[in-house]
Amino acid sequence: MKTHIASILEALIFVSQDPVTLEKLADLMSDFTREEIEQALEELRSKFDVRESGVRLVRSAGGWLFETAPEIDPWIRRFLRHDRKSRLSPAALETLSSIAYNQPATLAEISALRGVDSTHSLKTLLQKKLVKITGRRKSPGKPLIYRTTHRFLTYFGLDSLKDLPSQEEIAKILDEEKNDDSIPKPEE
Amino acid sequence: MENSYGYQVSLEAFQGPLDLLLFLIRKKKVDIHDIPIAIITREYLDYLEHKDRINLENEGEFLLVAALLIHIKSQMLLPREAALEEEKDPRRALVERLLDYQNIKAACSILREKEKGRIKSWRREFPPRGPAPDDTDFMEVSLFDLAEMFFALMKRQARRDIRVIKGKEYSLKEKTRELIALLRKNGYLDLREYFESQTSLNEALLAFLCLLHLIKNRVVMAAQESLFSPIKAWLRPEPET
Repeated sequence: MKTHIASILEALIFVSQDPVTLEKLADLMSDFTREEIEQALEELRSKFDVRESGVRLVRSAGGWLFETAPEIDPWIRRFLRHDRKSRLSPAALETLSSIAYNQPATLAEISALRGVDSTHSLKTLLQKKLVKITGRRKSPGKPLIYRTTHRFLTYFGLDSLKDLPSQEEIAKILDEEKNDDSIPKPEE
Repeated sequence: MENSYGYQVSLEAFQGPLDLLLFLIRKKKVDIHDIPIAIITREYLDYLEHKDRINLENEGEFLLVAALLIHIKSQMLLPREAALEEEKDPRRALVERLLDYQNIKAACSILREKEKGRIKSWRREFPPRGPAPDDTDFMEVSLFDLAEMFFALMKRQARRDIRVIKGKEYSLKEKTRELIALLRKNGYLDLREYFESQTSLNEALLAFLCLLHLIKNRVVMAAQESLFSPIKAWLRPEPET
């Protein structure tokens, strides 16, 4: 039985649209211990890496998921007749990270942080399912509160919110900017 | 654009007044914790004056911060009996906002890099599952199909409407909530049955609008098993589990 563990895992992840968590796998495959499953996943991952497969197994949003290798992107786009995946606009990205670091957050809080009304960007993010409404704040006006989604994590290749750029990383960027003698330029 | 202050970037290039302020602080190489308000305000106003007109809809926020800067300057000019304590520095609230915003901007540049790498990887996206476990292949219906069905129903409803005493007035919000609650409860809705169950024409119209809205926002999908078979609607599965 145990010889099949990798095949089972591979197939389960294959049919799943969302990252499959270790908990779910352990629950399903009660013949195996968590450790066995975890080890098999790691082995499976390196198997895909070693043979330079067009598909890779990655950890994302707290689970495991197949995705294509970045090198294949031009062919996939041709195949799907997809011009180019659009990047987030600077405003949307700013709104998104304001939410990511301050969640749950209201529209008013996000707008105050950015110094600009963020209604439109928030709408874009909701449509892209990068943020979601999780309820209302128990304050006057009962404003809606927003959080980032699993899709947000997958979008940036983060395993969990703990993987957001840390204070140290941010400080490093700010330091570089400070020591950069060239005339600063705004993004885009 | 060149002027005596060096090159000028247009206001549109900035995400907002805080973005512009941070830019000026870096450009003038001043300490963010000890901003020379007069210099920065002058520079800031320069940017605003560069525009023939300010579009209040999009750029009103720039004016708000201009007013704030001038207010801070006036506060600092007021004669005081005792030396200013740090907490009472009129610049303090603004500096805190700028620091918070600066952190977000820096995080954005890191996330942007991640996005660049990620955008080239593709993941599978499945069509949503149907209501039954052994579902046949459903086809998603077009707006045209939906409208056709709705108008046919509406004609019938119009005749019925004469007999109905005006019912409750619904808002779009209430109706949307009701529709989603129904979808949650039943798993899916037969749209013909749903529209027929509406008590008045107004209500049916409102329900239709809600449905279109939900489809557009990809909350709900409408599909049918085959051409001319009943159109059903259900909630798209959340990406979350």
